[in-house]
Order: sequence, then C-alpha cells, then structure tokens
Amino acid sequence: MSHSIRRLLFGLILVAALGILLASCEEDKKEPAGGETPPDGAGQPAPPEDQHVVMHSTEPEFFDPHRSNFEQDIAIERMLFRGLYQLQATADGGAEAVPAMAAGDPVVSDDGLTYTVTLTDGLLWSDDAPLTAQHFVDGILRGCDPTVASPYSYLLQSPDVGGIIGVAGCDEFAAASDASAEEQEALRADVGATAVDDTTLEITLLAPKPLATFKAIFSLWVTFPARLDVIEQYGEQWTDPANIVVNGPFTLTEFVAQDHVILEPNPNWALEPTPLLQELTIRFIDDFEAAFRSFQTGELDQARIPEAEVPTAQGDAALNDQLLIVGAGRMTSVEVQLDNEALSDFNVRLALSKAIDRDTLIEVANSGVGVPAEYWVVSGVTGYQGREPFQDLIGYDAEGAAAALEEAGYPGGEGFPTLTITILDTPARVAQAEFLQQAWSETLGITVEIRQVDARTRSTIFNEETFELFIGGWQLDYPDIENPIVGLFNTDGGNNKYNCSMPEIDAKIAEASSATDPAEHVTLFQEAETLIVSNLCGVIPYLQEALPYLISPKLGGVNESPTLDAGQPGNWCAECWFVQEQ
Amino acid sequence: MGVEAATTGLAIDLPPGRESGLWRDAFRRLLRNRLAVAGLIMLLSIIALAVGAGAIDEIARYDPDFQTHADIHEGPSTAHFFGTDNLGRDTWSRVLAGVRISLQIGLGTQVIVLALGLVVGALAAMGGRLSDNVLMRFTDIMYAFPDLLFIILMRAVLEGRDWLVLSDQRLQIMLAIGLVNWTTIARLVRGQMLALQGQDFVLAARALGARPWRIVLVHMLPNTLGPVVVAVTFGIPIAIFAEAALGFIGFSLPPPTASLGRLAKDGYNFVQLNPWFVVFPASAIALLMLCFTFLGDGLRDALDPRSR
Amino acid sequence: MTGYVIRRVLWMIPVLWAVATITFLLMHAVPGGPFTEEKDVPQSVLNALNRRYNLDEPLWRQYLLYLWNLLQGDLGLSFRGDRDVSELIGRGFFVTMQLGLLTFIFAAIIGLTLGVVSAANQNGPLDYLAVFFATAGAAVPNFVLASFLIVVFAVELGWFNILGWGGPIEWRDTFDLSMWDPKKLVLPIISLGVVPAAYIARVTRASMLEVLRQDYVRTARAKGLVEFTVVARHAVKNAMIPVLTVMGPIFAFLVTGSFIIESVFSIPGVGRLFVEAVLRRDYAMIMGTTIFYAGIVAFANLAVDIMYAVVDPRVRYG
Repeated sequence: MSHSIRRLLFGLILVAALGILLASCEEDKKEPAGGETPPDGAGQPAPPEDQHVVMHSTEPEFFDPHRSNFEQDIAIERMLFRGLYQLQATADGGAEAVPAMAAGDPVVSDDGLTYTVTLTDGLLWSDDAPLTAQHFVDGILRGCDPTVASPYSYLLQSPDVGGIIGVAGCDEFAAASDASAEEQEALRADVGATAVDDTTLEITLLAPKPLATFKAIFSLWVTFPARLDVIEQYGEQWTDPANIVVNGPFTLTEFVAQDHVILEPNPNWALEPTPLLQELTIRFIDDFEAAFRSFQTGELDQARIPEAEVPTAQGDAALNDQLLIVGAGRMTSVEVQLDNEALSDFNVRLALSKAIDRDTLIEVANSGVGVPAEYWVVSGVTGYQGREPFQDLIGYDAEGAAAALEEAGYPGGEGFPTLTITILDTPARVAQAEFLQQAWSETLGITVEIRQVDARTRSTIFNEETFELFIGGWQLDYPDIENPIVGLFNTDGGNNKYNCSMPEIDAKIAEASSATDPAEHVTLFQEAETLIVSNLCGVIPYLQEALPYLISPKLGGVNESPTLDAGQPGNWCAECWFVQEQ
Repeated sequence: MGVEAATTGLAIDLPPGRESGLWRDAFRRLLRNRLAVAGLIMLLSIIALAVGAGAIDEIARYDPDFQTHADIHEGPSTAHFFGTDNLGRDTWSRVLAGVRISLQIGLGTQVIVLALGLVVGALAAMGGRLSDNVLMRFTDIMYAFPDLLFIILMRAVLEGRDWLVLSDQRLQIMLAIGLVNWTTIARLVRGQMLALQGQDFVLAARALGARPWRIVLVHMLPNTLGPVVVAVTFGIPIAIFAEAALGFIGFSLPPPTASLGRLAKDGYNFVQLNPWFVVFPASAIALLMLCFTFLGDGLRDALDPRSR
Repeated sequence: MTGYVIRRVLWMIPVLWAVATITFLLMHAVPGGPFTEEKDVPQSVLNALNRRYNLDEPLWRQYLLYLWNLLQGDLGLSFRGDRDVSELIGRGFFVTMQLGLLTFIFAAIIGLTLGVVSAANQNGPLDYLAVFFATAGAAVPNFVLASFLIVVFAVELGWFNILGWGGPIEWRDTFDLSMWDPKKLVLPIISLGVVPAAYIARVTRASMLEVLRQDYVRTARAKGLVEFTVVARHAVKNAMIPVLTVMGPIFAFLVTGSFIIESVFSIPGVGRLFVEAVLRRDYAMIMGTTIFYAGIVAFANLAVDIMYAVVDPRVRYG
C-alpha cells in the first residue's frame, strides 16, 4: 500500500541528532557521506565492470520537486536535482547542512533578514546551459506559486500561517489562488528572492532565523532550481526523459508508469562523489511482501520489507546479514479525542496507558521492529528524554491501570462505554490494534472495537475529529524539538485534532517558541513535552518506528546513518553507491 | 404391489395412485451421484463442526480472539490442532469461526441474489414489453459494471454510516457482493419464464381464470427453480472467494473477526515464517468450495430433465 | 443479424452512460478526497489544488464537464503525476491483455484437454483424477496459490522470476523479442489461469458427456469408427457450443485484469491501476477505467453472442 505519508520523508532526511540549531557546537569531524569508501586506483581492486543496481521504491507521482507530495518522489528528485545546500550525515548519527550548489555559507545582513548566497563558479545544467542564481530564484518562486500548488509551500511560508522559514512575500503569493493574473504577477515580484547577478542571489526573510535552520530549509526539494524555459516549452511533460534537464548526480533516461524508472549519471554533476554506477533502476513496488520475495529471488538489490517478515529474515543466516533496521523519526501513539466524555477524564487515559505492555507489544505485534516509547520526542533530536522520566508515570502497570479506571468511576470496566479505535488497514497496525484491544479488555474489562479503513477515509476521520481512539502519531519535519509540539498541543494548533487544551501547555509552548537562546529553547520544550506526556493530553505514545530493509552485499556505499532518511534510496546519497566485489 | 408394478415388472414399490414428483425424482438421482453425496455429507459435517464450535466450548477449545503472547507462530500440536497465529490465537477455533462467518456471508449473499433475481426476472417476463425492456437494460448496466470496483465503492460508501441495519458490516458485505451477482439469476428466471409462458399448462391456468400472481407462484416458479437452485449453489463459493478478495484489499470485516478471507490474507503475510498459518484456512476454503461444487454439479445433473 | 448487431452496439451508449453516472455518484459519496492528508494541509494549498483540478465547482458542473470532455474523447488527467488517463489505461491494458490472452490460452488448453479426457473416460480413474485436479486447483483464493508457488518455485528453487511483467510494456515494443522473459510469465499465468481452467474443464466435461450420449455418436460407433475418431471428429465440435458461453465471461474477467495477481507479481496492468485509483480517490482515473471496463465487457459479450450464432445454426437473432 503506498500510504507513504509525505511527512515520513522529513524526519528521515532531517532528523539530526544534535540538531542543526546546535551546529555551532558541533565538532567538525565529518565522515565521507558513504559508509564505505569506493575503490579507487590506489592499491584497491578495480570495481566490477557491471555497475548496475536495481532498487525498490513505492510508486512516485511526480518528478517535479515543486509538485511532489510523497517521500518516494522526493527521494528520486534528490537524485535528479540538488539545492543550494544539502544534508549530510555526521559521525554521531546526526545530520547537518553543508554547501552543495552554493560556494559556502550565506552572508547574513546585520538585521538578520537578508541572506546573500554565492554559487560555485561554472555550474552547468545537464543540457550544458549555465546554472544561474536566477534559476534558484525561479525555484523558490515556484515553491510559493499558487498555480503550481506545491504541498510544501508552507516550508517557505512564515510561522504566522503555520510555515517555517518565512520568505518575505511568500505567504501572500501562496494564498492568491483566486487572484487575477496581474495580481499574482505583482505578488510574485514582491517575494523576497532575487538574483543579484548570475552567481549571487539574495533571500529576504520576515524574521531572523538560526543559520542552521536556513541552510536546512534550503537543502529541501521545494528550493531546488527550476528551468522555466523547459517547463514552458513542454508543460506537464517537462519531466519526461526526453525533455528533463537536471543539475543533480543523475538524469532520467527511462520512465514507465507503474513499473520503473532508470537513472544514469549526469556528466555535468559538479560535486563529489561522481557516481560510479552506470545505471540505476528503481522498481516501483507497493506490496512490501512482493518486494521481500523479489529480493530473495535476486531481482532486487535492495528492498523495504514488511515488519512481519523481519523474523523470517532473521531466521535465515544470509538474509540476517543483509537486514538493516533504521530509525524512522516517527512516534506512533494512540490519539485520544478529548471531547469525548469518558476520555476527557485523565484517569481514564491513564488507565488506558498503563494497561499497555509496550515491550511485549513491539515484540509480538510488531515483530520486534521499533522502540517501545512512553515519551513523545523521538531519539536523534536534541532534547530527547527517552523512556526514563515517563515510565513510572504512564508506563505499563496492570494494577495501577485498574486502580485508575476505578478512580474514574468505572470499577472493573463497569459502565464504561464501548469505544472504537480507528486504524489504517496495514497488517502491522491491525496486529497492534488487536493487541491493544485485548490488553484493554483483559486489564480494564472494557470493550474497544477496531475500525479499519483506507488512508483517505482515515485522514478524513482524523481531520473531522470524528474519532474516539485513533492510531496516529507524528513524523518529524525537521530536526528540532519544537516540530512535534508546536501546532499539535497548543489549543489553536492546526494539527491538534484531539482537542488538547490546557492553559499550562499553551503558556509553556508560547514561552518556548519565543526563547532565543538555543539551550533555553530545548529546555523549555522539554518541559512542554513533560507536561504533555504526564497529562496524556490527546496522545498515548507507545512506539517509536523503525523501517526494515534488506540490502544485497553487492551494493556498496550505502549510508547506514540512522538519521539520514532511511525511507528511500535517494536520501542515502545515491551518488555514493557502487557495485562491489563480494 | 401397485398396478404399475404388475404391468412394468419394475421392482420399485410405487404407492397406489401416487406419481413421483419432479423433486422426488431429482432427489433420487442426486443420491445416486457419489461425488455429490460425498460433498453433501462433508458439507454437513463441516457445518456441524463449525456450529458446534460456536456453541460448545469443548469443540472450539479456545476463544478465537484470545491471544496468548507466549505461544505465537506454533505449528500443529495436541494443544493447538492447527497451531497458533502471529498473536498466539488458536488457529483451529479461528478457522471454525471463519467457516461460520464465511458461510453466513455466502448464504446471505445468495438470499439477496435470489430475491433480486427472482423479482426482476419474473417482473421482466410477466410484466409486458416495456417492463421487460427497462428491467433488462437495468440488468445490462449492472452486468457491465466491473464487479470489484462496485464492491469496493459500495463498501467504502457504506462503511461507517449509521443507516439503520446497514451499519452491520456483515450485511454491507453481503449487499455489496450480492448486488453484483444477481444478474445471472435474473436472466435465467426471465428466460425460463418466457419459455414456460407458452406452455400448455400455463395457458390452461389462464383460461381457467387464475390470476397472474397465482400462475407465477404456483405453476411457473417451481419449474424455474431447478437451474436457479444450481446457480445459487455455485454462487456460495463465489461469494466466499469475493470476500477473500475483499480481505486482500483490506475491505473485509473488521479485526479481529476471523472470516476465512481475512485468515487467508493474514497467512499470506507469513508464508515463509509459518506456512501452517495459511494452510488451514486455505484448506477450509478449498473444502467448502469442493463440497459446493460437487453438490452443485450433482444438483444440476439431477434436476436436468434430459439427463439419465 | 446485422440489425441485431447494430441495435446491440447502439444500446451500449446509454448503458455506458448509466455506468458512468453511477460511478460518478458513488465515487463522490466515498469519504475523503484526493488531497486529504492526516497532517494539516495549509488551506491555501488545498484551495490551489482544488482550483487546479476544478474540484471547487459544484458536483453537477463537474459531472457535465466530464461528460462534455468524454464526448470529445478526453478522459482527463490522473492526479498522480498529471498524466493522461487514456495513455495510462492504454499502456496498462496492453499488459493486462497480454496476461489475459496468454492465461486464456493456457486455461483453454488445460481445461479442454482435461474435460475431453475425463468425459471420454467417464467414471474411470482418469475422470476422477482430472476432476479432482480441475476443482482442487481452483479451490483456493489465487493469492494463496500464488504465494505458495512463489515461495516454492521462485524463492526456494529459483526456477522462475516474479518481479514485473515478462513481456513488452510499451506498445512500440510489441515485436521486440528481447522484451519477452518466459521465466516471469509462468507463475502469474498459472496463478491466474487455474480457476478458469477448472471451470472450462467442468463445462467441457458436462457438455461432452451430453454429446456422447447422442444418437449420432452411437451411429458413428455402430459404423465401426475408432473411439478416438468418434470423439475427436464428431463429439468435440458439437460439445464446444455450450463451452463458448462460458468463454465469454471468462475472457472478460481475464482481460479486465486480476488486480490481485497484478499486485502480487508487480505487473503494471490496468487492474491495479483501477483499484489503486479508488483508494487514492483519483476521480478521472476511476471514471476512465470503469467506462473502459464496461465497454470491454459489453463488446466481449457481443462477440460471444455473435460467435454463438455463427457456430450453432439453431440460434438466430431477429
């Protein structure tokens, strides 16, 4: 099922252990982007002749970085294009943004609002046209353009409208889908991105932002450069293999909808490393079971496999060596509708939480994949607190659970209404829900029914707040402790569909959001997390997700960083991969 | 010994003055078909076992929904005849529960199919040219509609709605599957009735002043039922398969309900880890399918007046 | 006869229109739209997307707009990548049709052979064996059969491959022999073909038995003809007539694609295209594939009816 939620991508690429915000404190020990060094001429065996690999991805929609919604699209786009900066793994499992097309860090004006970025000299597109600053400006403008309708335009918009970086004029432009063509032109001209000359561009923000955040945002696909002339000429078909023009390590040479895409090295790729692969085929497979079997027949060199098959892989010596389980930057929880009478009582929520034996749940219902969690902020983010502070508060305690329910007025579950838990129709979620159902019935004596629906229906139920219990969670957008909290637990938060509304939490979030000192920023948000978790305000966390992969030993250069996206091939530095002797 | 026996020399003992009806003849022919009888006996045994498991604890041995986390993915043993599944539930009791549910769905679907098919077919045949045309066009439309799409759309539309009895998931599935399968019966019924309309006994009844409804119910339907019964018998395994297909897409009954389709799909996820998990539900489906097929074949042969 | 065919063809138009309308209504009655996400999507983006695809218009206008485009042969764009629906269906159908035809041939050969053999040996051991295989193979859901075949023959034994379609995917490659990979064809065809084969076998057997009882067969035997000639020349031909009636629906089923087999073997066919469109609420694709299917089914039925009339001289259409 291709319910790769677009957000999945974020956490993956962006999850940074030490946080880009604290990049200044980072030691600059940078490892090469690949896990292994590719063989070179110096005393190493020559790489095999056949440099062709077959990778697995779920089916993408677009190859246009300004139209994409899903992680698999974005992963492939990162192979085709590259922005001013790019995220790279650090030695300690984090990630930081380093210059890509830009020559170095931006020069920031005194008021912190204007960023001047200089491009490296001599950059070329794959059709030999020079890559200029104007192309980057065009890309940023496309990201804000309402007729293009990028689902990620919010990254460029300001926090006032739920955005992140706040490029000047982007909010107004993005909101103008009903405006006339002239009005849109005027608004476009007002967006704070201009090309001073061919190699220098100026970006104006509405408010000062940490340099690390700026560089992180300008590593993302929504800021990739755009060739308006090509788009103009070919319209929707500009991403067809015959038409597409790229600046990344690979170019698109073949695309068959529903089946596969073939990439080959772009001779004009400006950075290191130069791809060793001659040809990279990406097969689209939405059924992970089929991917697992195709890996075993040797038809795939890399596959994402279902959690249920992890024990199968672990049971086979060869497969076990090829198994890679990587953290996903996603926290899964039971979301609780606080408008519901029974659930509005804290003791009820506490009972529900204490009745969950998280360790056994992960072991049995999720085949041991992932980390049991009584916390909300995932590991790899600065400020991660882990299970310890919260285990006694809300962790597994069967007696405590029964006591809490009795305290709430439902001794032994008597008089407690039958609730429904809504889940996505995947085997993993079904198993988790069945586990929870029995846990609650055994320990508390209450009945919870499972409602299994497809992705769109589930999103509708969530958005319309018609759920009672709901298995959901949060996928990190970018590696900052504020990301899983702001907008989710403040009373007027856009993602606060469970109606968590506590004055202390609102106050704490406001205080934390306005803190300028990075250390204070982290501490205050940690306090917010503590408030949220100890009050179970809308969420009962239980699982920090991980993704299982099988990688053939033939494939070298795979970045095994747990923080740089494990979601899709592209984010593992596709230009780093090569075929090696086994 | 009756008169007939004396004159024909047959060893069959016919009670004086009574003829063997169509149904009795058919039943006798059915009994002579060994495969059909075997199928019928097996079917009745399975049903008895499944129903028994629902009523008597000793047969089911475990609650089909009860998870024992220490005993996951076990193979067959004396403790668990069919082994356990990924959450430690007893596969034996789940399969038996699945048989109950799948049979319910299969039968329920056919009730809907029969009702719709009979009504539409009879109305088309008896109601005059206009109603015939209209109804047959309606049948064409339903026939042209891609089955799976319609079932999925119906399920998606109905799921979660609270419209009276339609909120029952089982009923929704029966409705969804039934609504795509009634066209064959309707055509059959219409065809049969149109053929019968010209027959003497119908004309006679009309001449005697019998009202149309009486003609339909008393004279025509019984003669139509033969092929209809056969179609319904074959329809039950088709419905069971349709439910399995729905299970594959995720549109079947909600967890932890153990319909055979869901069990087969769950097993699909674990084929290499625990093959037993899929073997038993698949065998149950296969057995049911075989029984209904042999029974259906037998019924068709038995009810076909031309076969010997 | 010509009049009959013309009338049938003309009737297809209102039928297809009705199918389209029912689909349109059902499709919009399903909860959730193409851009519904769990995470809060900024209203400006939703507005922009809806504007782009005319989803902010009232339903009746969208319906009429769709019909208007349909009459001009424009099936619209899929939300997935803004690709032309007719192109996607065309390419998907090309693959599904190959799978369907090959499976049909497989099922027909196996089914007819089994049926004839078992009828000729009625109630003998061959008969029971054939009947058993015919029914048992078709008695499990095809994804279960497929997964067993895959695990045993592809994963463990390595005889076959299972990823993708073993034939040309683009129309232009039709005559390119290098595009054919028999190793990938075997398992999908068997998984898909077992059920139709069983069905054909049973119908053939029943029909053959019927024919073998006929007087003209007895006459042929009495004339001293070898049993084989009796069966092959006299019986089989006439037994085929009822078999043709089931070939129609089977062909339609195969050609409209088995979504399950396409998913399990990652085959880029039109069956998958269509179920995935429903799950994604890809309206133009749902409409396009439904109308397409309905059209195929209607034509297939017409073709069978015509063939029936040609083959069986007793059948005549007014």
